[in-house]
Amino acid sequence: MTFEQVSFFVLAAVALASGLGVILFRNAVYSMLSLILNLLSLAFFFLMLNGMFIATIQVLIYAGAVMVLFLFVVTMLTSDNASVGGRDRLRWQWGAGFFLAVIFAGSLSLALLQGSVARDACSFDPQGCLAAQVAKNGNTETFGLALFHAYSFPFEVTSVLLVIAVLGAVVLGQRALRAGREAPLEQNGATERETEEVANAR
Amino acid sequence: MPVSAYLIVSALLFTIGAVGVLVRRNPLVMFMSIELMLNAVNLSFMAFARFLNSVEGWIFVFLVLTVAAAEVVVGLAIIVSIFRTRRNIDVDELSLLKG
Repeated sequence: MTFEQVSFFVLAAVALASGLGVILFRNAVYSMLSLILNLLSLAFFFLMLNGMFIATIQVLIYAGAVMVLFLFVVTMLTSDNASVGGRDRLRWQWGAGFFLAVIFAGSLSLALLQGSVARDACSFDPQGCLAAQVAKNGNTETFGLALFHAYSFPFEVTSVLLVIAVLGAVVLGQRALRAGREAPLEQNGATERETEEVANAR
Repeated sequence: MPVSAYLIVSALLFTIGAVGVLVRRNPLVMFMSIELMLNAVNLSFMAFARFLNSVEGWIFVFLVLTVAAAEVVVGLAIIVSIFRTRRNIDVDELSLLKG
């Protein structure tokens, strides 16, 4: 076996085991850490597929920033609430879920094994295909050229989406504050009430 | 490795995520399963970008990453606000749309 095959199988085993860990751990914090391991193993897959820049932003943004936000909320909500730990009242759901999963994974794998990949871009466009561009310009520059020239409009729409998400989070947080008691007017009272609410939750 | 090897790993990860959404009753773990599915799709986009030699796969992964970040922010805000009003976030008990 070549080095690529060995690393592929090791990474695939890590990715699938940590993926199973996400849904099998009873404690949500363990699931979270398992998910971070899964994201890191996917970043190594991206490296194997010559996507160095994407692997870097996967580690920095996804496994770093997004998952830290996630972990904050998980630890905030699971610390002392036993019902959050995931007691299952419907045991048969596991059997039904596993049955559907076998059907789904089997049909997907069958479709993947029977299909064939379309033509490689390098066979009809040897100058402009990805491998040639990466060899000429480097990994990050190829991505940047594509993102800011051919795909600049989707990139701008992405910024609008992020602004909407930030505004939505602020509005949701504000409404939850006001629901606690009658509309807190001054900032100071709001933060005091906030700490009081957290203390009540303990 | 052929492209189908990567795609099968991606399909299995997607299936694990779908099962997680179906069987787990903790909304945080269901959310993590959604992240798992998004990342499985990212893996197949990267595999196609490599084997079809086109940069569109990378662009899609970038956009999926951004959408996932926005989704995490809004979804966690919703879960936190539900927790504040109900003190309990088991999805089986959240049967009313109005608190």
